[in-house]
Amino acid sequence: MAELSIGGYTFREVEPRRYVVSVDPGRLRELAELIVREESYLSTISAVDLPKENAIELNYVFWSTKHRVALIVKTRVSRERPVVPTIVDIVPGALGGELEAYDLLGIVFEGNTRLRRGFLVPEDLVSKGIYPLRKDAGV
Amino acid sequence: MGVSVIRYSPWIMHFNAGACNGCDIEVLAALTPFFDPERLGVRLAPNPRHADIILVTGALNKKAAERLRRLYEQTPSPKYVIACGACAISGGVFTDSYPVISRADRVVPVDVYVPGCPPRPEAILYGIKKLLDRVARGG
Amino acid sequence: MAVVEIPIGPQHPALHEPIMLRVRAEGEEVVEVAVNTGYNHRGIEKLMERNSWVRGMYLAGRVCGICNAVHTQVYVQGVEKLMGVEPPPRANYIRTIVMELERIHSHMLISAVMAEIVGFDTLFMLIMRDRERVMYLKELVTGNRVHADIHILGGVKRDIDEVRRDRILSELRVIEERLKYYRKVFEEDYTLLKRLAEVGRIRKSEALSHCLVGPTLRGSGVKSDVRFDDPYAAYSEIPFDVVVRDEGDSWARMVVRLEEALVSVGIVRYALEHLPQGPAVPKAFPRAAKVGEVVSRVEAPRGELIYHIVSTGGGNPYRVKIRTPSFLNIINTEFTYLGHRLADVPVIFSSYDPCISCTERVLVVDEKKGVRRYVSLRELARWGTT
Ligand code: SF4
Repeated sequence: MAELSIGGYTFREVEPRRYVVSVDPGRLRELAELIVREESYLSTISAVDLPKENAIELNYVFWSTKHRVALIVKTRVSRERPVVPTIVDIVPGALGGELEAYDLLGIVFEGNTRLRRGFLVPEDLVSKGIYPLRKDAGV
Repeated sequence: MGVSVIRYSPWIMHFNAGACNGCDIEVLAALTPFFDPERLGVRLAPNPRHADIILVTGALNKKAAERLRRLYEQTPSPKYVIACGACAISGGVFTDSYPVISRADRVVPVDVYVPGCPPRPEAILYGIKKLLDRVARGG
Repeated sequence: MAVVEIPIGPQHPALHEPIMLRVRAEGEEVVEVAVNTGYNHRGIEKLMERNSWVRGMYLAGRVCGICNAVHTQVYVQGVEKLMGVEPPPRANYIRTIVMELERIHSHMLISAVMAEIVGFDTLFMLIMRDRERVMYLKELVTGNRVHADIHILGGVKRDIDEVRRDRILSELRVIEERLKYYRKVFEEDYTLLKRLAEVGRIRKSEALSHCLVGPTLRGSGVKSDVRFDDPYAAYSEIPFDVVVRDEGDSWARMVVRLEEALVSVGIVRYALEHLPQGPAVPKAFPRAAKVGEVVSRVEAPRGELIYHIVSTGGGNPYRVKIRTPSFLNIINTEFTYLGHRLADVPVIFSSYDPCISCTERVLVVDEKKGVRRYVSLRELARWGTT
């Protein structure tokens, strides 16, 4: 399998044109800065709830227009304290993804001042403090 | 009372209450000269205070349902509601999803249901015609 | 000078979340725009987790009615990978044909809406009339005007026969003529140029850092097209151009779309003429997927569409993450309105192709006088001219 190295981080190819790296949440900002330099944009932030492992996995999917590959950054946070640093100041386009992940799964992006509930979720769920895309949301 | 007034020239206001846009582009298509709704006197009203008929599409998202209720109140009597598409009639594929109410008639009284996913433009016009016929009979 | 706050929407089906733009204007000048969403959230991602793989296919199509075939494609190609099935080449070609027909009608639709927004009603009517030809072709191929639903895991549901093929080819000639004419109108018409050129300009670096996709990105000079960079369906076998313009304004975005529609006509023609022999409709399809995850991308009419599908085996997806192109293009473009006149807001907004409706209405609140009144987007576009 092919590998791609960006600033000391090694991305592994899992499928054609999909390169993956797993990092700690603390490394996100540094990595985002490196990836942006490769003429990339952030496609999406996909959060997957894994109650069995008491974790939420975040997948930051970047598309690099220079290498013409998808760079996927995986990181994990605990379900009780799902906090990661924001990257909005590095990639302004991350705004939508962060707002969405906060509203649907309750991931807190530290430093993003525009986070609020009710971005997508209706009032009745918000008032009960339910995050609909968590597996135990019961909706 | 006053019903005969709208018989000749009903103005329609289209309200998207969480539709997938499938219904909406067909409503739009139905209002262009290819299908020529103006032979029935039908025109698109820019605002609820001018409208006689509210055409609802979509699965009634909770936020949007609030709006629909408000719009219905703002529309002067006599007023009629057409529920257009499977979503507005029964929730369609979105039935029982957490952000939707599923049925237009849970929010406002509906006079005509136009089935289909989405209904053809001809079907939408036929639904309008049915309503007008009923109005002409004084119903 | 009064600062006016104008919520635009939400009763208008912009993206799959009809949204509200809160515009604050000082006199004529826009000073702040904030996007407000949630009016069309239907919980599809959650619904998918509850439904089987096959049902998800129909749900995916119903995320957006205008670009339903690409939604089904991106879902189906991802699931096919998880299930380990390959569609036959003929099926891939037929899928491509349907998706390109969809692109043509979608681009015509937004051109029509744009014409209407700037007050060019005749052009709106003309484009809508010719769009019916494309809708007819779509119906001919799939049996439906809007929801194509032609995909099935491992193939397509309907084949294209000789008669249909010739009918499509002859109809395409007319469509091509008309599209060339509309491109000329958009390139040369004085009214359109005045309203679109230099409005809502996005530089190349801004387009990338704000993560814009599709014609919006290509209108700013970035050559990025999923069909070309990351080929799926039959695109690796079909020659076509990626349309790029450097101007970065609303006008460039519209012209990119019309050019692209013409390219799409070429793709459909090529695919029909080179349709591989063999079966296209599978006799049976699998119902369970292996453990794994896949990031699936396609180029929707509005830009890159991406699904992240996670499977833990069995008959249902574990997680499906959907990110539609308009989600990025609308939410991340708040900065492009600043400094423009109020009347330019609908033009810039429409140039991102936020799906459509003629019934968009805006509530104008004059904070000083405390009056509220509704105006339509069209009226707003003519603000200050009457
Ligand atoms: S009835 Fe079908 S086409 Fe209409 S809004 Fe619902 S899913 Fe879309």
